[in-house]
Amino acid sequence: MVPVEPTPSVASDPSDPAERVRYLAEVMAEVDAEVSRRRASGDIPVGLEQELDELFLEFSPVGLHGKARLRETLSLVDRSAYVDISVPVASEKLVGTYVKRLIRKSMGWYIGFIVHQIVKFAWSVSRMLHVVVDHVEDLEAAVEVQRTPPLPASVVPSADPGAAWWAPAAVEALSGVEGRVLHADCGNGSLLDALIAAGVDAYGVDPAGAVIEAPVGRGLDVRAESLLDHLDVVADDALAGMVVTGSVQWLHPNERDRLVGLVGSRLAPGGILVIHSATPESWMGSISPVISDLAPGRPLHAETWAQLLGDRGFRVDGRSSGGADRRIDHVGAANPDAAALNAAIDAVNQALLGPGEYLLVAVRER
Amino acid sequence: MKLAFVTPRYGTEVIGGAEAAARMLAERLCLRPGWEVEVLTSCAMDHLTWENTEPAGTTTVNGVTVHRFPTASQRQLDYFDLDAKIRLAPTAVGLAEARRWVALNGPMCPGLVDAVAVTDADVVACYPYLFATTVDGIAVSPVPTVLHPAAHDEPALYLSAFRQSFRHLDGFVYHTQAERDLMEYAFGNGAKPQIVLGLGVNDPAGAGRPGGELVGLGDRPYLCYLGRVDEHKGCGMLAEYFIRYKERHPGDLALALVGPVSDKAPDHPDIVVTGTVSEADKWDILGGAEVMVNPSAYESFSLVLLEAWSLEVPVLVNASCAATMEHCGRSGGGLWFDSYRSFEVIVERLASDDGLRRRLGEAGRQYTERYYRWPSIIERYTGFLTDVVARGPRRPTRLKRLVQPDAGREYVRRG
Repeated sequence: MVPVEPTPSVASDPSDPAERVRYLAEVMAEVDAEVSRRRASGDIPVGLEQELDELFLEFSPVGLHGKARLRETLSLVDRSAYVDISVPVASEKLVGTYVKRLIRKSMGWYIGFIVHQIVKFAWSVSRMLHVVVDHVEDLEAAVEVQRTPPLPASVVPSADPGAAWWAPAAVEALSGVEGRVLHADCGNGSLLDALIAAGVDAYGVDPAGAVIEAPVGRGLDVRAESLLDHLDVVADDALAGMVVTGSVQWLHPNERDRLVGLVGSRLAPGGILVIHSATPESWMGSISPVISDLAPGRPLHAETWAQLLGDRGFRVDGRSSGGADRRIDHVGAANPDAAALNAAIDAVNQALLGPGEYLLVAVRER
Repeated sequence: MKLAFVTPRYGTEVIGGAEAAARMLAERLCLRPGWEVEVLTSCAMDHLTWENTEPAGTTTVNGVTVHRFPTASQRQLDYFDLDAKIRLAPTAVGLAEARRWVALNGPMCPGLVDAVAVTDADVVACYPYLFATTVDGIAVSPVPTVLHPAAHDEPALYLSAFRQSFRHLDGFVYHTQAERDLMEYAFGNGAKPQIVLGLGVNDPAGAGRPGGELVGLGDRPYLCYLGRVDEHKGCGMLAEYFIRYKERHPGDLALALVGPVSDKAPDHPDIVVTGTVSEADKWDILGGAEVMVNPSAYESFSLVLLEAWSLEVPVLVNASCAATMEHCGRSGGGLWFDSYRSFEVIVERLASDDGLRRRLGEAGRQYTERYYRWPSIIERYTGFLTDVVARGPRRPTRLKRLVQPDAGREYVRRG
């Protein structure tokens, strides 16, 4: 056997959570590599190794939770497919053993005939399941290749939404709402603080686990989840309001479509949806190049959101603009071409510049 | 603020499990100024028979007021037939049959349910999800009601009776994020108020004696398992794997199985079984171990991991257990095995690598200090319950109480 490398005595900082995760992954990768090497060496007889692996499976949950392991579940089917007709005959009494053996012998032809058919059926089912699992794994591999990678949470700066220009308007839109209100990508929870102070039963989600430690520490109900993952586990009509910020700007079109569908079912009729986004024109210029390069999607115009939401039974109740207003100033009247230049500047301002963000408030009507 | 816990059984005799977790919370909460705690429970201590073994009435257990009510019947053999049936396709089981399963699982405790219906508490906490006391408690409680599910990914979780009941809860308290994920998947309760709380760990209370001497191993290095020695806890697998390991790696390393024995462990010169030990002995034995092994795949929290980490002892866990895997992944304080091969490689490495053991143990200690000390747990729990109560009075559920099953043959515990 190849001895495993001991850990160096001078190790990196174990108090850094990211470092701990990295270190653990490194150790387990070494373990996995050594396991593979030993399996390949065949130093344990195959039958014994299989028996030991089955012992592990015997005490592993194979539940209904989405990520049940296909291959391992299948091996349980395979193990159950054989029916042993050699009924144990041991008994505490000598005569008991004799009687049991007699019954087994006399019934053998009968039980054997039936069991033969059961085993044949079980093996057919098992074979079919093997084919299905092969196909599922092929499909999973094909889907994985086509998957759009999500934007890594680490490249998104932590947000302070309570201090944003649109926060008072969002609080006003949701004040008086009865029921739970979700803030997606809630960052440091500052908007949640403002909503709760206004009497709103608000909670939040944010995909960045490290960001939510502070609001959780303040006693806020905040979970480390993406908006879509969270809405998947929310019951229909369970929400009275939603504030959607941050990642809504760079969702992949498929995910955006899914989001609109989920919002339309999770918000109760009469529920209020607040969307904050950058305008497409300002986004490329104002966002970090890493985000704009890696983002799977781009922001929509407010009009497009209004269209998508209208199709799903929402009525847009309000729209406001704000954020950085990047306009080109007019040239002075002293300039002999001022009139022409300022007309051109107005056209550019109107088409490409102006307020960089907007807030949309919509109500679910049906 | 007055809190009423509803649990199927309660007492210092109940070792480990959700009911013991409820007792830990209750005993600490009742010491907090401004908080009053009572427990509504059955007269039974055995979760397989529900036989009334404790006197009905009110007693005090470690400072907590406990009201006991007799069970209406012991567990019937019909339960096992229905249980086998629902295991095949629990989501396809109709509501009436699912409610019958819950009633047969018991304990059916009409006096307890009557008491919940007229409780003067400000909030009710049911603990854990699986039992009739919880479903009936949720149905009749007149005040905000929260659930500590202590849920595993098991067929019963998907029964419609629980889905119907849990819709009316005012909050959920989880042991781990993995448990929250499971409950959200099963019940779509993501919008409900909830908190991942866990449990607190006590300060180590050993007497400073060498653990090896306490278990009869002298100065031999040893792995330690702490808890009920039971096949379902993976102890049989652990013993089998360890025996194979020793065949291939002769040496001093031993295995100490520490705790009450439900299933006999194999006789082997390198395996010692201590039976139940005192609290001080437990800490000393744990402190002397090279590694604490928890082979169970069905843990909802695993306090023993945190106890090991309090002493900077690294852990080795079953890779198919979501709760212990979550602790290891978040803390960096332990490794996991998913086969004999990985068990062998990891034990070999941990046994020979002081630096790795130190590093894992230290990471585990930091994690425990940061998240799982009692004062911060109680602070968060009381804050959560206060918020639940502040959301206002509970709406009537219109749920019916479970129907007492017809009398049938009673289950008799053997051995």
